[in-house]
Amino acid sequence: MQGSLKEIQQLTGHTDQVWCVAWSPSGSLLASCGGDKTIRIWGKEGDSWVCKSVLMDAHTRTIRTVSWSPCGQYLAAASFDATTSIWSRKSGEFECLATLEGHENEVKCVGWACTGNLLATCARDKSVWIWEVTADEEFECASVLSTHTQDVKCVKWHPTSELLASCSYDDTIRLYREASDDWESCAMLKGHKSTVWSLDFDKDGHRLASAGADASLKIWQEYEPGNPEAIATPDNIPVWKCVCTIAGHHERPIYSVSWCSLSGNIATASGDDSLCVYKETSSEDSKNAPKFEIAVRQKGAHSEDVNCVCWNPVQEGMLASCSDDGSVKIWQLLKE
Amino acid sequence: MASQFSGALQLTDLDDFITPSQECIKPVKIERKPGKVGKIRIEDDGSYTEIDQTGSETRLEKAKITLNDCLACSGCITSAESVLITQQSQDELYRVLDENSQHAQAGNQSMMKEIVVSISPQARASLAAAFKLSIAATAHKLTAFFKRLGVHHVFDTNLARGFSLIETCHEFVRRYNASETEKTSLPMLASACPGWICYAEKTHGSYILPYISSTKSPQQVMGSLVKNYLAQKLGKTPDAIYHVSVMPCFDKKLEASRTDFFNDIYQTRDVDCVITSAEVEKMLEKEGTSLSSVEDYPLDSILPECPPEKLVYNHAGGGSGGYLEHAAKFAASILLQTQVESLSYKVLRNQDFQEVTVSAEGKPPLKFALAYGFRNIQNIVQRVKRGKCSYHFVEIMACPSGCNNGGGQIRPGGDETQKERYQAVEEVYNKEVEVVDPFYQQEVESLYRDWLDGKDTDKAREMLHTQYHEIEKSTSALNIKW
Amino acid sequence: MEYLESSVDGERLVPSFMDHQSLNKFEAETQPDVLDSELKVLQETIYDLISDIRDPEKAASLEDLNVVSEEGVTVRRLLTGQVLASIEFVPTVPHCTLASIIGLSIRSKLDQSLPQKPKIDIFIKKGTHDTADEINKQINDKERISAAMENPNLQKLVASCTDPEAME
Repeated sequence: MQGSLKEIQQLTGHTDQVWCVAWSPSGSLLASCGGDKTIRIWGKEGDSWVCKSVLMDAHTRTIRTVSWSPCGQYLAAASFDATTSIWSRKSGEFECLATLEGHENEVKCVGWACTGNLLATCARDKSVWIWEVTADEEFECASVLSTHTQDVKCVKWHPTSELLASCSYDDTIRLYREASDDWESCAMLKGHKSTVWSLDFDKDGHRLASAGADASLKIWQEYEPGNPEAIATPDNIPVWKCVCTIAGHHERPIYSVSWCSLSGNIATASGDDSLCVYKETSSEDSKNAPKFEIAVRQKGAHSEDVNCVCWNPVQEGMLASCSDDGSVKIWQLLKE
Repeated sequence: MASQFSGALQLTDLDDFITPSQECIKPVKIERKPGKVGKIRIEDDGSYTEIDQTGSETRLEKAKITLNDCLACSGCITSAESVLITQQSQDELYRVLDENSQHAQAGNQSMMKEIVVSISPQARASLAAAFKLSIAATAHKLTAFFKRLGVHHVFDTNLARGFSLIETCHEFVRRYNASETEKTSLPMLASACPGWICYAEKTHGSYILPYISSTKSPQQVMGSLVKNYLAQKLGKTPDAIYHVSVMPCFDKKLEASRTDFFNDIYQTRDVDCVITSAEVEKMLEKEGTSLSSVEDYPLDSILPECPPEKLVYNHAGGGSGGYLEHAAKFAASILLQTQVESLSYKVLRNQDFQEVTVSAEGKPPLKFALAYGFRNIQNIVQRVKRGKCSYHFVEIMACPSGCNNGGGQIRPGGDETQKERYQAVEEVYNKEVEVVDPFYQQEVESLYRDWLDGKDTDKAREMLHTQYHEIEKSTSALNIKW
Repeated sequence: MEYLESSVDGERLVPSFMDHQSLNKFEAETQPDVLDSELKVLQETIYDLISDIRDPEKAASLEDLNVVSEEGVTVRRLLTGQVLASIEFVPTVPHCTLASIIGLSIRSKLDQSLPQKPKIDIFIKKGTHDTADEINKQINDKERISAAMENPNLQKLVASCTDPEAME
């Protein structure tokens, strides 16, 4: 261990468990949501973080995930009430612009593609939906992908291209791309021994981190056609392989993983109330056999399960987390 | 076993924990009795015995589920599959054929059923593509194949589809004219696809059902023709006829099982058994026959006066039946007083979402769309729900690419991909077949006159139209899947 | 297409994979069973709470039906200091469709009644249910549980099991 996390501030206001925290692309706003069916927007005033607005009345059940559009003007919220709401702050205030319906039951996650033109949602109905944002701010279903055999827990878009990843209760990860007339699943990544709860790409999108109920963190490497390792890529579709498994640091399921695009550090949040930060160390073959070491193991980061962790995209080392204990916390990674 | 239902139905399967080996057991809520309850013992034969405090034993009954229970349930649909296999499959057809030959041997002519097979043009095309035969040869060889097994009549469902098309056209014009006062009359959503109907009833209920055309699908019009018209002609009661349809789609089995198509008086269905193209292929395998090597035999005609060479034909407008095509042309002539020779289909978001606009000067244009596959159905349904659907008519099909790509069609062989096989089916579907306009078909006209007492009569409504039912979400917590 | 991790050379497993149960066993070995009195009290409290739960279909309690037992409740401390309670139960019949409701009821009762909020694992006793693995996964998935408990019909059913008097 070479570092530690300094708790900058605890943000209180939610009246039930907090499921998700998400930084706006500029890093200046933090959105959080949870069992109290509200979204809270937090921003800095002077030296401290305060609640700038509370978005409510859009959902009748838990809001599971919030996600900012790449331009920062829109916020999407996925709810157990089977809908996804889209909020715009173009007028200065957050206004609910649209409600996406179609999933049969709880929507678990929502994410925007890097272009901002596509949105993905996933649900317990085992499907992943891709929505297209039309010029007049309408959202139309572009595809319904039913390749997972169980509850889909999380969707995450590639940072630079329109490649989508999802992970599921069926223990697998799927990747999707647009084919001639529809989207298709182009890879299935197997390796986790139980539910895969969370995913995140690294800065360039050639690596993917996944974590789940088996309490392990896995790093997957993309092998493009013609790769020097001579790994076969059938149909010229890149192949993803697990190149590193990091286990033994959490004692309960890992619910969230965040890969910092600034530092390359990975953070995980777990049902054992702790947060961990992993740092890549130099290795002989960092592509095919990367090495990570634990930099921080923050026991008792919250007093109950930690559900989500997220690196600030602009301020290096700043981290937000949230928990069943109803709190949101902002942390700063301190180097030794 | 992978589900063979269309995608729309598979999505409504929320059933995580019923494995194929464990059929759905409908939980039954038991009245609470005061005091303690005894224990349950599992017997060697797998049955359960309850022993109460006094030591007396009661054998517990296993709950049974019928297909109708499944259709009426807001929960899963795929666990109905095993029920379907026992009620509607080639095995069931074989069972009836065997019974018939036993009755024949025993001299019990009166016990024998009149067996009718009605073959859909999409299933015919699938078999034609699989055996590399022409449409006419396929129709004739299938006729011979079924007759050798003991089937009495083999019909083509195109005759029935002619009625579905005509009724769809009239219904559309009627709805269009009523749209000023009747909010839910437009857009009119086509009704031939049972996967779509089942999805709409289970998931969207009251707000979408009024938009769905009341016209029966070709399969069910065929059911009326066989169990009503033909039965009368033959001097038989409906239950003395065993009616089998050959369809491109598994969901058609669900359609045939609807209570709307069950005759309470005679305790019989309009279509008793649905078998898919792939199941016909299995029957051919079982008989050790290749369709190519079967002799040709002309199709039967419901109307005796129809010459056999006029029995193989098709309709315009594509492999899903041509509902848009016919409705657009008919509406143009009636509502816009314009004859449209050919429609121009504009591909929208994808190949399965296309639109057609028909216009005439000084009149508002008529807008039609094709929406196939679940993703496109979604956008239509959501637009209708928000009152933002600008189309007047939408031909909806649950399967991507429509009925020729149905889940019951024969799987590709060898290196062939699903897409290549679908293209082969699509290509052969209308190849070297006369395209008939049902409005100018003499048989259709005489049936309207002789069977239905004319158009828009009570009898025509009874025989050619149906209704839909919202399925209420189950409120019993005992069978909620969570 | 399936790509198994094992086909790549140089993969590090640090340490080898552990699922919940083996991790817990690992705990148990490293901390010989000195159950401090606090844990002992918790264990008894848990059993008292769950033994009263009523079967969703019958008038009898889980204790009367031998669905739960005192031996089925174990309590230990994790390395991170939290307390983990494991509850094992035996469904009345091996295909019991309501085993997941029993699991939900046990968890709901403990969540409501235990101020110290221990971590809770609930398992069907090995070999006593046809689809034990599937149900175990479901009744330990916190997201599924959360969502289920927002369903008013399930809420009512669970409440009728966990607090029968209130429902009378």
